[in-house]
Amino acid sequence: MQAAISTAAQVKGPQRRPGWTGWLLMAPMLLWLLAFVVVPTAILFVYSFCERGTPVEWKFTWENYARVFGGTELWPLLKCVLEAAGVTAVAVLVDWFRSPSRMREERAESAKRVGTAIFVTVLLWIVWTDLSNVFTGTYVRIFVRSLYYAGFTTLACAAVGYPVAYCIGKASDRWRNLLLMLVMIPFWTSFLIRTYAWITILNENGLMNAFLQSARITQEPISMLYTPGAVVLGLVYSYLPFMILPIYGSVEKLDNSLVEAAFDLGASPVRAWQTVILPLTQPGIIAGVLLVFIPAIGMFAITDLMGGKTVPMIGNVIQNQISGQARDWPFGAALGMTLLAMFAAAFWFTTRKQGDDAVMG
Amino acid sequence: MNRRQFILTASAAALATPAFAAAKKETLNIFCWSEYIPQSVIDQFAKANNVKVNVENYASNEEMMAKLQAGSSKYDLIQPSEYIIEEMVKDGKLETIDLANIPNFKNLDPKFTKMPHDPENKYSVTWMAGNVGICVNKAKVKDPIKTYADVFQDKFKKRIVVLDDNREMVSWALASLGIGINDITKENLEKAKGVLAKWLPLVKLYDSDSPKTALLNGDCDLGIIWNGEGAKILQEMKKSKKRKLDFEYVLPTEGAHMFIDSLAVPKGAKNKAVAEKFINYILEPKVSVAVYDEFPYTLANAEGCKLLKPDQLANNASFPVGDPKLDTFKMISPDMAGAIDKVVTDLKNK
Repeated sequence: MQAAISTAAQVKGPQRRPGWTGWLLMAPMLLWLLAFVVVPTAILFVYSFCERGTPVEWKFTWENYARVFGGTELWPLLKCVLEAAGVTAVAVLVDWFRSPSRMREERAESAKRVGTAIFVTVLLWIVWTDLSNVFTGTYVRIFVRSLYYAGFTTLACAAVGYPVAYCIGKASDRWRNLLLMLVMIPFWTSFLIRTYAWITILNENGLMNAFLQSARITQEPISMLYTPGAVVLGLVYSYLPFMILPIYGSVEKLDNSLVEAAFDLGASPVRAWQTVILPLTQPGIIAGVLLVFIPAIGMFAITDLMGGKTVPMIGNVIQNQISGQARDWPFGAALGMTLLAMFAAAFWFTTRKQGDDAVMG
Repeated sequence: MNRRQFILTASAAALATPAFAAAKKETLNIFCWSEYIPQSVIDQFAKANNVKVNVENYASNEEMMAKLQAGSSKYDLIQPSEYIIEEMVKDGKLETIDLANIPNFKNLDPKFTKMPHDPENKYSVTWMAGNVGICVNKAKVKDPIKTYADVFQDKFKKRIVVLDDNREMVSWALASLGIGINDITKENLEKAKGVLAKWLPLVKLYDSDSPKTALLNGDCDLGIIWNGEGAKILQEMKKSKKRKLDFEYVLPTEGAHMFIDSLAVPKGAKNKAVAEKFINYILEPKVSVAVYDEFPYTLANAEGCKLLKPDQLANNASFPVGDPKLDTFKMISPDMAGAIDKVVTDLKNK
């Protein structure tokens, strides 16, 4: 029913073709997109099929894509999927016979929900713990690792940023401005300088180790810098404000009377958060996730400085091909196009899913 | 991405404002290695000649070539090493230099003039020489370290810093196999690949900008680094009273790379005259010593060497003692350069 109404609404307004004034108003935007998005992407696409030269040799080759996916075997990944499916099957069976009083539909619904959650979690976990064996291809592995690092970063930013944003949004006016200021102050200095500050803190003769040793928590200095942990820390630190600010935006707009109503109707704080606050602040979370995840996956400066170039993400590899010492533009272009294709696929998948939901709703 | 780069950019931006107000100044655009030309030297040159100097940095010869390849013709002065000069001369990418405009050329040690990569110094003038050697923190590493293979032992896993330079890495593997560092063929590269596949997973940090930092910070215990960085650590060792430092710099017995970093003018440079003026300026004995004080590579300026203090001359990282096996790099074909980059890129990312 809802779907029918929304479709009807769509047909009416925007369906009309824009007049020439409309096109004129859109022209700067269209030109901008053409010059800075479409054309460069097309150039990259062409380069990715050329041979390495100075900078490119105009000879067609599949070699670059072969190198991107080189060494990939499907069997280890398939094995992981089967393992995860096995664990899921057991969990779903347990869930099915958990409480015999439930209706059949209820059981099916629960099995679907529990099954999906367990399957995804277990699969991600198995893949992560055995990444180098599951993904045998060097560059495919870097893609997957980048996804994981960007994913960790996004999760950590959300976990830390949500409460912070909520508190700022609920604080009194005077405090709110001060707290917002504190979130934004780091932007006043170059993020490179802030990254160097982390190097001073984390190195083995640095502040953190000095503190741990003087507090007698550790005897020997711990290697913190130039590890995957340092990379994720650097990413979380840099992108946290991009999570806090959009969530703060939704929290600020949150209608307090709805939250109060939830409590009046007897909801526990957890339940109120889950059924009222979370759905209402979801737009902020989604915006934050996009603002953190997408830049994080392509970041190369922080990973170079804090990972010591031994924990490369896909951004590092691409940067090294284009303006670094590897001087292989076609290969860099092929990596870039692969990344783009991944995003396009993810976008198509999510929008298609939303479309399904809309129809079902 | 390195620390000097943004400091320099920032200071360039700060300088730009008054420059607008003044009469139109000549500009010198320098594209040089990071941590190699002291800011004080640049400032003094700019002031004395009323020139605006812009500096951009790179961390490997190949990176510089990549930027030049990308079509950048805005630089007046670059700082390539010997094998790159050979290549650039062959490809006609360097302007000739008029030595008549550089009277201070006579101050250079004859050892570092008329070298095989530029026999008549038509295209380049030596800036500084140097080598790539092993620096060891003896407080942490008790065994004697003499060869590349001594560095890359399993027990030093994730305690090693090396230069982030593909050709250098391949040359270490070749030397340790007893192959000449310039014998770069398909077969030899395949052999080197086998060695590097075992070595590179042990590395904790790739850093060409400032590898000494990780050694001094205690993040790494041994490294294969530029001699100037090693010399700086040895200086630091003498200075430090509070913290006892114990480092040594050794040249691997299998042989090491001696590089001849030079100043050259890329084709199409707009301001060759000022570039030559700058070259002449840094060849002043006093200026060359100022450079050495900050970046203690092997000083190629014979007159400048006379002004060095005895303890500076005794720094065995700056000035190798005895008769170590040192070789310069020779130009290689683009195909081989590509093969090296592919091998090392694949291994580093493994």
